[in-house]
Amino acid sequence: MKIGTPKEVMKGEARVAMTPDSARQLQKLGYDCIIESGAGDAAGYNDATYTEAGVEVVKTAEALWKAADVVAKVRPPTEAELKKSRDGQLLISFFWPAQNETLMKMAADQGTSVIAMDMVPRISRAQKMDALSSMANIAGYRAVIEAGNNFGRFFTGQITAAGKVPPAKVLVVGAGVAGLAAIGTSTSLGAITYAFDVRPEVAEQVESMGAEFVFLDFEEEQQDGAKTGGYASVSSPEFTAAQLAKFRELAPDIDIVITTALIPNREAPELWTKDMVEAMKPGSVIIDLAAEKGGNCKLTVMDEKIVTDNGVTIIGYTDFPSRMATQSSNLYATNIRHMLTDLTPGKDGKVVHNMEDDVIRGATIAHEKAVTFPPPPPKVNAIAAKPKEKVKELTPEEKRANEVAAFKAQTKQQVTLLGIGAALVLAVGLVAPASFMQHFIVFLLSVFIGFQVIWNVAHSLHTPLMAVTNAISSIVILGALIQIGSSSMLITLLAALGIFMASINIFGGFLVTRRMLAMFQKS
Amino acid sequence: MEYGFTIAAYAVAAVLFILSLGGLSGQESAKRAVWYGIVGMAIAIVGTLIGPGQGLFVASLVLIALGAGVGYQLATRVQMTQMPELVAIMHSLVGLAAVFVGFNADIMINDIAAIYEANNLVMGAVSDDGYSAIGLPKEVYDGLSSFGQLIAKKTSVEINILKVELVLGIWIGAVTFTGSVIAYGKLAGKVDTGANKLPGGHMLNAGAAALSLLLAAMYLGGAGSWTLVLLTVLALFIGYHLIMGIGGADMPVVVSMLNSYSGWAAAAIGFSLGNDLLIVVGALVGSSGAILSYIMCKAMNRSFISVILGGFGGPAGEQMAVEGEQIAIDADGVANALDEADSVIIIPGYGMAVAQAQQNVAELTRRLRAKGKSVRFAIHPVAGRLPGHMNVLLAEAKVPYDIVLEMDEINDDFPNTDVAIVIGSNDIVNPAAQDDPNSPIAGMPVLECWKAKQVFVSKRGQGTGYSGIENPLFFKDNTRMFYGDAKKSLEDLLTRIS
Repeated sequence: MKIGTPKEVMKGEARVAMTPDSARQLQKLGYDCIIESGAGDAAGYNDATYTEAGVEVVKTAEALWKAADVVAKVRPPTEAELKKSRDGQLLISFFWPAQNETLMKMAADQGTSVIAMDMVPRISRAQKMDALSSMANIAGYRAVIEAGNNFGRFFTGQITAAGKVPPAKVLVVGAGVAGLAAIGTSTSLGAITYAFDVRPEVAEQVESMGAEFVFLDFEEEQQDGAKTGGYASVSSPEFTAAQLAKFRELAPDIDIVITTALIPNREAPELWTKDMVEAMKPGSVIIDLAAEKGGNCKLTVMDEKIVTDNGVTIIGYTDFPSRMATQSSNLYATNIRHMLTDLTPGKDGKVVHNMEDDVIRGATIAHEKAVTFPPPPPKVNAIAAKPKEKVKELTPEEKRANEVAAFKAQTKQQVTLLGIGAALVLAVGLVAPASFMQHFIVFLLSVFIGFQVIWNVAHSLHTPLMAVTNAISSIVILGALIQIGSSSMLITLLAALGIFMASINIFGGFLVTRRMLAMFQKS
Repeated sequence: MEYGFTIAAYAVAAVLFILSLGGLSGQESAKRAVWYGIVGMAIAIVGTLIGPGQGLFVASLVLIALGAGVGYQLATRVQMTQMPELVAIMHSLVGLAAVFVGFNADIMINDIAAIYEANNLVMGAVSDDGYSAIGLPKEVYDGLSSFGQLIAKKTSVEINILKVELVLGIWIGAVTFTGSVIAYGKLAGKVDTGANKLPGGHMLNAGAAALSLLLAAMYLGGAGSWTLVLLTVLALFIGYHLIMGIGGADMPVVVSMLNSYSGWAAAAIGFSLGNDLLIVVGALVGSSGAILSYIMCKAMNRSFISVILGGFGGPAGEQMAVEGEQIAIDADGVANALDEADSVIIIPGYGMAVAQAQQNVAELTRRLRAKGKSVRFAIHPVAGRLPGHMNVLLAEAKVPYDIVLEMDEINDDFPNTDVAIVIGSNDIVNPAAQDDPNSPIAGMPVLECWKAKQVFVSKRGQGTGYSGIENPLFFKDNTRMFYGDAKKSLEDLLTRIS
């Protein structure tokens, strides 16, 4: 089958969904690759490099859509583009199906199957095709670079002959993939970096990247990111208030703010208010990565850079990945390739659209003339951790009742066992002579003591326990010692052998135990 | 008077033995407990030596000294990794000694019967009071050894009970002997570790056991000593065949079970000799081994019977197919991940023992701890080939015991752990035990290391574990396979971690 990538029609989109490298890998899966002439130019790949990689270059988009069985692109298709596709064709791209319902219907009616890269479920197995993460990573990095570009000072502090340079202070709001990438970039440039997130469990990740987590003095139910597939959800008004108060306190000190807070399928929450912007020093920079969804700062203008009256630059670009087209094309093309690897179990260049597979099912939004969005919840939990089932708090009465019941059951069991045991002993006593019973009592009591004592032995000492019991079980030596004095030669011989072997055991067993125990030591 | 002293010595020894076992509840008190055991044994032996009827005082001492020499050599030369083999082979000695003592008792009974006959009396006949036996004439009686006198005093009922006891002692002793030898062979790799049964399987064992029972009945009926010899041969066969049929992965249970047997054998011998100390110690050892076996079985979620009857049963249905691929990683990758990790849990298994990698593991632990990382060990109850095997190896390598934790203590901590390192273990970290109801190990408690952020598995190759079950852990996305001999891999790793 043929995989084709057209030139992106959206203005300013520099990325391309296939790189020469990914094309080589796709050919290994058995596919033929075609590309529209000039598709990779903006990403730094000209037609010649594609030809070299064995990719057929076609002149027009029409020809490409016609020839390809699978079309891989970056941006959601325009209506005009979608019209070029045909029944049975597979389209792989970002789609945002929740916003583009008409487009999705149209695709389904036409019979085009669509795999939306933004719908890949967030499970471990699908990480290699998680294009949102790989793009967010780039956006986070680029946000810091863009901020540095617009910021008049060094990131790192220096003391030079020409004077002292204070380090820049960067605040990253939202420690998702983009936020963490921004934190990493910012700290490695030398800035003092703070980070905030509504999910306190990411504090550890933030600190591992070298930033300082901004904690709120706030006691509330903590959001469990694992429940929502690793995404943040809406927080309570009290929490938001505490959060804003903290930001207000920080605002005058912060030189660069990078906001990345997004909640799935909602407008971005306002986190950086007008008065905070006003409190910032002139020359400060705000990068609003949520600009596409209305921005975390309401002053943000989408796709534009503005400077406020007090000299704060606010950048609302939405095309950060496209601004690093080579890098993002590389990563995106790899995500696409991994998706196709999963779609091609036979490595024979044939797409098998397995709707039983969690990942493929989740990402498919149109298939066989039907809209298949939204997908059913994946069979595998988003993030493996199962929330612990809460044990119901028992009332004191219930507890008491349970205890009594357990006690009764235990008593019953014990009495039954004792009854049976006693009956057995008595039965033996009926037939056995008194001299036997005397020893029998000793035996029973010893078994009893053994059971009582051994349960307390520590797990880690089981090997020494076996060595000790082994050593003391050579107490059979006593039997041999008693017998060795016999008049019979045979008895003496066997007894002598017995003594010899048992004493090997005694000394060997105890010595080994001592050796082992001597090794156990506290740190 | 002397006899009373011996009994008193036995009482003291019995108390010391109980204290010795009880003291094993903690690492520190255990060190004292061993001395209790040693002193107890010394008192018991001395008490017996100076007791009545001990004929060959010097010869006994010489024999004990000889045994001590051999035992000393064994104990000091053995590697800690070979501990399971040593314990197994020592069990066989106890078993064999019990068999010898049992035979001696039989021979003595025959001798005494002959003496009775020579004096025109019937052994075991009851005197006029209907209670005590008609003894031998005093001059004959005094000429007997103490054991002979003991038997000479018995009535016929007591003689029969004595015979039951000695049959039991010999039978259990013989099973213990061959069983331990085979267990030793399997642990030392000298015998095929698979579950091998002769054609006939359990029927063969059952048949041999039934035949033993028949022979025992014949022996009690007075058929003569040949039945006892035959019975011993059968018992030897059962011991051999029983353990041959049990796979290597079940060896911890087998070893503790044999431990238990050797105790019961001692107790049975104690009954036949009328020696209370033997009974006490035998019962202690027997119950100790039984409890250990029970704990091991519970840790594997299997019934004792199914372990003893051998091998893993066939899977109940189609096992889940394992998807994905095993992704390898090199020492650099592991070193980087360890460098970034804050918390590390190491899960050692039998593979670590085989590769003798415990010193390197300990060195790795020291270096990581020196960097301020939290390093802990997770020990599954059946890790290794002997209960507590891993603890001993780690202790040998001077890993402090307070960072070595049991499964139940540490299982909940995996989700908060950055790196879990699995060194030479397989079944005990197999998620199929929880996920796949058709897996042969379904329901067995396992260490949930796959919940850690990253898992490294040090393993020789792609093969399956002892039990031959595919392990989905190796195919998980957060698992990286660190192939190679555990010792070499770790050496490699250590050069990269300062």
